[in-house]
Amino acid sequence: MPLQQVTYNDISQPLAIAPGAVENYMSAQGSSFGFRNRIINGAMVFDQRNAGGSVSNPNSYIIDRWLVETSNSSTTAQQVTDAPPGFTKSLKFVTTTGTSIVSGSYCDVTQKIEGYNVADFGFGTSSASTFTVSFWVKSSITGVFGITLRMENGPPYAGYFTTYTINNSNTWQYVTITVPGNSATAFGSTTNGIALSLNFMLGAGSTYTASTANTWGAYGVTGYGQLSSATGSNAVFTTTGATWQVTGVQLERGSTASAFEYRDIGRELQMCQRYFEMSFSQGTAPANAIGNPWYSGATPNIVYSQNILFTAVKRAGPTITFYRGTGHTTNGQWAYYNGSAWVTASTSTGAITTQSFSVGISSNIGTQYGYVVEGNWTASAEL
Amino acid sequence: MYKLFKDNFTKHECVIRLSDNAHIPFDPANTDYQKYLEWVAEGNTPQPADE
Repeated sequence: MPLQQVTYNDISQPLAIAPGAVENYMSAQGSSFGFRNRIINGAMVFDQRNAGGSVSNPNSYIIDRWLVETSNSSTTAQQVTDAPPGFTKSLKFVTTTGTSIVSGSYCDVTQKIEGYNVADFGFGTSSASTFTVSFWVKSSITGVFGITLRMENGPPYAGYFTTYTINNSNTWQYVTITVPGNSATAFGSTTNGIALSLNFMLGAGSTYTASTANTWGAYGVTGYGQLSSATGSNAVFTTTGATWQVTGVQLERGSTASAFEYRDIGRELQMCQRYFEMSFSQGTAPANAIGNPWYSGATPNIVYSQNILFTAVKRAGPTITFYRGTGHTTNGQWAYYNGSAWVTASTSTGAITTQSFSVGISSNIGTQYGYVVEGNWTASAEL
Repeated sequence: MYKLFKDNFTKHECVIRLSDNAHIPFDPANTDYQKYLEWVAEGNTPQPADE
């Protein structure tokens, strides 16, 4: 029984909930009051990489924490403002030109979950937790769609393949799916590696199609994205102009879908930044030649070096990518100002940790005080 | 394609992904580093670090 559905029938008596009743309910669900939802950015609010821009031929992270993979290059994905009541954003996948399914076809929208965030599920033990996935979905296509829970413990990989049905086209629909815990197989990581991935399947060829649904099995598929799917509709993949959207995604312990856990915006962003952070302002997609880049005063007469602390501690030592500002024209490099012009400098890292990185430019920037260095950066520690 | 990198002052070493000049640390948990190792396992060799 969801908490918000607690009813009280005798209005003549003061409402009384026995001490501990709510706590007992949550405990029975195997849930907690904080961090019920193990999905990060399930409401599709943060899109640091693309700022709502459309990405063609997506085979990368689009909205924060959401990976889109497809073998159909004539497709797009992006954050949009069309959403069901209570939400403001969704992830939209569009098939610009449909193509036939072949054995190696694949198309999925995926979130990979870090081991620390589901270690309490106890997979591989007799007390493995049942969990429930809930989400809002909307598509131009009706029918049965595949959804996969995949453990990154292989090969072979444990997978649970099931389906949900979209009844009406172009209409937001709420879906819940309860999945039994896997007592037989432990997560590949209960620390900072991949433990579990949630995959919304929009197309899968025979290479990536499982024959057995609604049970945990072991699969040796090691192809691109290492996907598998119960038999679901491939119509989004094959139909020109087809659309599919999702938001409000929640994955929680227990057999009941509770209301979507809204986290405060600062906390949700920090959770995203554990996997991707940037020097650009929120709402500005990383690129070269963005105005108002990151500036730093430079100590004269030395080779420039600066240590930059991350806002959020990273899952792993992140990959650092540099972007130029507007003062010069060499992409991927920073520059320093020599008093009369911006000068491109070879830009590199001096150290990379989960807490910070140092950036250096190879040029001696001279003796004049007041020199500045400009440029931007991103740090990616995605799963 | 990749190139090894070594900072002669800090002794920091990493891999540079040449397509976007990204600096990838030697962290086994970094998925870009994992892809680099797969690339090497396929028989490829990175460009040496500058002296």
